[in-house]
Amino acid sequence: MTMEDKLYIISVYSENQVGLLTSISSIFTRRNINIESLTVFPSEFPKIHHFTFRIFTTPESAAQVVRLIEKKVEVVKAFWFECNEVNASEHDIVNQFLINRN
Amino acid sequence: MTGAEILIESLLAEGVDTVFGYPGGQIISVYDKLYNYEDRLKHVLVRHEQGAVHAAQGYARATSRPGVVIVTSGPGATNVITGVADAMVDSTPIIVIAGQVGNAALGTDAFQETDLVGMTCPIDKWTFQIRKPEDVAPAVAKAFHIASTGRPGPVVLDFTRDAQNGVAEFKYNKCDYIRTYSPCPEPDEELIDQAVEMINRAEKPFVVFGQGVLLSHAEQQLLEFLRKGGIPAASTMLGLSALPSDFPYYVGMAGMHGSIAANMMTQECDLLIAVGMRFDDRVVGKASEYARNAKVIHIDIDATEIGKIIPADIGILGDAGTVLEKITEKMQFSFHDEWAVKAREYDKVENTEICLPETAPVEGPIHMGEVVAKVAAVSNNEAIVVTDVGQNQLMSARYSRFSKTRSFISSGGLGTMGFGLPAAIGAKMGQPDREVCAFLGDGGLQMTIQELGTIMQEHVAVKIVVLNNNWLGNVRQWQELFYKERYSQTRMLNPDYSLIAQAYGIKYRLVEDRAELDEAVKEMIEAKEPYILNVHVEEAGMVYPMIPGGKCVDEILIRKDEWFDNGR
Repeated sequence: MTMEDKLYIISVYSENQVGLLTSISSIFTRRNINIESLTVFPSEFPKIHHFTFRIFTTPESAAQVVRLIEKKVEVVKAFWFECNEVNASEHDIVNQFLINRN
Repeated sequence: MTGAEILIESLLAEGVDTVFGYPGGQIISVYDKLYNYEDRLKHVLVRHEQGAVHAAQGYARATSRPGVVIVTSGPGATNVITGVADAMVDSTPIIVIAGQVGNAALGTDAFQETDLVGMTCPIDKWTFQIRKPEDVAPAVAKAFHIASTGRPGPVVLDFTRDAQNGVAEFKYNKCDYIRTYSPCPEPDEELIDQAVEMINRAEKPFVVFGQGVLLSHAEQQLLEFLRKGGIPAASTMLGLSALPSDFPYYVGMAGMHGSIAANMMTQECDLLIAVGMRFDDRVVGKASEYARNAKVIHIDIDATEIGKIIPADIGILGDAGTVLEKITEKMQFSFHDEWAVKAREYDKVENTEICLPETAPVEGPIHMGEVVAKVAAVSNNEAIVVTDVGQNQLMSARYSRFSKTRSFISSGGLGTMGFGLPAAIGAKMGQPDREVCAFLGDGGLQMTIQELGTIMQEHVAVKIVVLNNNWLGNVRQWQELFYKERYSQTRMLNPDYSLIAQAYGIKYRLVEDRAELDEAVKEMIEAKEPYILNVHVEEAGMVYPMIPGGKCVDEILIRKDEWFDNGR
């Protein structure tokens, strides 16, 4: 952790798949990013799970982590934002994605 | 039908004709069914599971079709992991089917049980555990779709005993759509227009292309783009053979042991166009100084690569062929002759100082580059060159010449010693009508030497050139240059390869004398059967030019203690 590191939330919508949590968390560990907290719960969309990770990092690294998470086959969408922000748009984005690709 | 039969029928439905594998306790049901399909599906019995996965990689790289591996659980599965990691970083489509214990035994430390899903999911493109027979066909269909589309990669199917032995109805539907997976994004037209404008304005444009060109089958599109724009181009190691070596705008390989022209022009260009490559540190050297005078256009199919190492002024997400075609259509005809011929000036220095002394020495022991150049000449630049890792690889990359695409197969990103011999077997089985020539060091050969047994059993007519110097030469080179000549554990003695060849019934010849080399290479290339050519090369051979790790790509060693001086 350096001076520029801030607390970010990485928010992930994904289909359920055995092993996915391992492979997402390895994206953090490989880059020496500690996971401060982790929650997994069913999202507001049927059969879609919602993961949130709180991590200390830089904006560049948060953005790259999100791109790497989105590369996983089962992941619908991933977002990053500062911990005290609220991302109001993610519901609409995921909703639109699921409508477009069904 | 049992799950085991469904697996085999599914492979046939995907057009698979060859699989590489090794039987065992938890995959025995699949092997039992395979017995009924011997006339339709060729199974190559390797000698170690690592051999199977590298052979599948060689097969995939030579043919562009996914390579298929079948192994048992536990040690069978862990033995393929090196190859899975290798295929991931080198974007090679392979499908590994590993046996697994029964569903009830999962997690109980049963005999030959291991957490394959947990081990492979961080290093592969997709992992799936098949627990029910009705899931077999859809899993195989998804596996082929995922492995071979977008940026290709390895897929692992962990196939439990219950899924193998249970019964389900067989109905195969090929997969071409997964809602959360968009492998081939349509390029953004606005970015294409911006790129065209930037290319039209550039005075010294330069292309560095990678394996993405081969994976997208974009060789022709690249050629036309370079012709129309009059743009000189360098290849990464895995991009080799995408352009013919004698293409006028081709300036050689970029990176640590690449050509002087490729690396100097990277630093001098005012626009760098990167196509299907990922700015590996072996290409880039010191990233903050790389292409320091240039704007950068980066074309790649993988969003995580754009901006990862080198910031892109324009990053275009898409298939290399599609993007190049669109750009070529819109851009103007240009000539940059004064700029492009700079390559030939650098080549003059490189030829006199490095290439000629390496490939055509008049006295002393045989050089590695000499052997590679000889094989290229005798095989009319048409062979598929497979390499191991180390000096043999660098010399093969530098001194092979290519006239056909998909002719260079090597472990690039992971740098897996032991890759060469099994990969050559796979390449030859995939392209039986092409000459396949493997250059191996004595170290790498001994890492997977057991696969000579596979060559013996299957009569795979690969030509094996051992560049034998009794050292782990590449590490020895670093020790000489950067570790005060302290040769820690790099001296390696060899067995008598004539006896090994004899034991496996493989044709063999030893060359120690330059006068014999020409005739020996001809004899090897003309042979219709497998052949080992053991060449005793100079012990202290060095690969130059060399950009030491972490240096800028214009800081080039052309000899020990002598840097390339741009002034002369």
